[in-house]
Amino acid sequence: MLAISEVKKAYGAFDLGPIDLTVGTEVLSVLGPSGCGKTTLLSAIAGVVDPDAGTVTLNGTDLAGRSPEERGTVLVFQDGALFPHMTARENVAYAAASIDRVEELAATLEVGDVLDQRAATLSGGERQRVALARSLAADPDALLLDEPLANLDAPIKRRLRDELRPLLSSLSIPVLYVTHDQHEATAIGDRLAVMADGAIQQCNTPGEVFAHPATPFVASFTGSTNLFRARVAGTDENPTLEWADHELDAPDHESEVGETIEFCIRPEYVVVENGARERPNVLDGRVRRVVFEGDDYLVDVAPESTDDTIQVTLSPPVYDRLELADGERVRLSLPSDAIHVIGAGE
Amino acid sequence: MATRSDRSRTAIGGFDWLTVALVLGGVLCLYYLAPLVSLFLSVPSTALLDALGDPAVVSAASTSLVSASVSTALATVFGLPLAYWLARSEARWKNAVLAIVVLPLVLPPTVSGLVLLTVIGPNAPIGAFAVATGMPLTRSLAGIVLAQTFVASPFVVVTGKAAFEGVDRTLEHASRSLGKGRWTTARRVTLPLAAPGILAGVTLVFARAMGEFGATVMVAYYPQTMPIEVWDAFLEGGLDGAYPVAIVLVVVSIAALVVLNTVASNPWE
Repeated sequence: MLAISEVKKAYGAFDLGPIDLTVGTEVLSVLGPSGCGKTTLLSAIAGVVDPDAGTVTLNGTDLAGRSPEERGTVLVFQDGALFPHMTARENVAYAAASIDRVEELAATLEVGDVLDQRAATLSGGERQRVALARSLAADPDALLLDEPLANLDAPIKRRLRDELRPLLSSLSIPVLYVTHDQHEATAIGDRLAVMADGAIQQCNTPGEVFAHPATPFVASFTGSTNLFRARVAGTDENPTLEWADHELDAPDHESEVGETIEFCIRPEYVVVENGARERPNVLDGRVRRVVFEGDDYLVDVAPESTDDTIQVTLSPPVYDRLELADGERVRLSLPSDAIHVIGAGE
Repeated sequence: MATRSDRSRTAIGGFDWLTVALVLGGVLCLYYLAPLVSLFLSVPSTALLDALGDPAVVSAASTSLVSASVSTALATVFGLPLAYWLARSEARWKNAVLAIVVLPLVLPPTVSGLVLLTVIGPNAPIGAFAVATGMPLTRSLAGIVLAQTFVASPFVVVTGKAAFEGVDRTLEHASRSLGKGRWTTARRVTLPLAAPGILAGVTLVFARAMGEFGATVMVAYYPQTMPIEVWDAFLEGGLDGAYPVAIVLVVVSIAALVVLNTVASNPWE
């Protein structure tokens, strides 16, 4: 188990921490924007930078004062950090205890064919595979991956991502997987820690973080683009929110009547209604903008009674059926169980 | 790319700056080469053969080669670790250290010789002690080495620093996190990657040590090195006396550079 406790590091104007994280034999994704301190956190765990305060223990051993090579923590870098003057084989062998181990890992990561190539001649995907093989060759007690897929083309990235999850789980060691990509973070991590401005905002299962973001930042960074300010109109048996001249039924939350709160709803949970019938949580608006993202359509809808914009994600078949054009009137439904009051239900 | 070079060519009134640069650089290269060629042309081959057979010239050549080799080794052993520290340290007084290293480069060599004499001269405590032990630091091979090292060693520090700075720190961090200590990391990752730059520095030190005159003349006129032998020949026999000896020095220096350069593929790239 990797336990990070009260770890702090100041870099000029930037402050990391205090960070508290416990990673069991699991894959913990650390999701955050660039510059939020993810890499500094990994560096502090690996002993590459000295934290100003706090402790890092691995399997019960305090790592304080240990040099990077004595920690059992192995780093995997964004561009692989392969030694350019060596072949792929020499890179893996650099860390491996035996030649057999090199062959075995090359087979696991499917790089047997490129073992005799120089690191510089490898493709991005091959480079990361060799880098992973090299890191596993060192027999890590904990594996720290710093955006290992960030520079890869989309199809290669997706394939490697899907291979990585079972591979990392099979290691049965603490794995920290740092990324700024929400899809990667959820696809790979058993749990997910969202970081911003040097602090952990929320740490839970990916499903829980996405459904119930703890802060407005977590909501927007994990794709809950519909983030609005509302007044609490009812609580207990009849929890309702007043927003845009509408009273919205909402799940139970721990706020007082009259309080101003923030709530969010993921754009893929917003429903475009066909019926003309007035119902709770249904409101009318006009289409303001349509963006085709390739997989989905993002439709911005301006409700009549507010300046806010609701974003709706529609799959192409649904979008084609609805034939939405700019300026067109639409009726939206915000299902009450998809509404999340920020900070509630943690 | 094409549009960009087109623009730079046409924007400045049809002036092709690349051609201008080539012409200017060509003049400079001619200025380097022409005297060397004319030196070789001005000496009859018999005079050159005489010089090669002159025991004084042979002795000077061997003194130069031995002293320059020792100076280069000393400069490398003491200078490379410092170069690494300068490349990696974030200490605030790093620039002060760098200034000290560059000092011998900006001092006139004769002044370097003078300041050395204040420490290793026979009247200074250290120099006097050395004389007492029978290993004087002036008028000796040791004196030549001290003068050459003083003047030439900054090259390996400055060039080595740049070479180490060119090695991505991430590679060192990767190596350490893979369980390899500082020494293994230096030996198998940092040094091989910095090698071309380091070798360029070593070459420069050797070349500078071979040609060192000003400081050596102050510290150790004898045993004579090649540059001093050239000076001596000039005083005795004028230009005609000095030319053949100068050619020998040029050939020995170029040969040494070629040998050093072929040790690595090409240290200048």
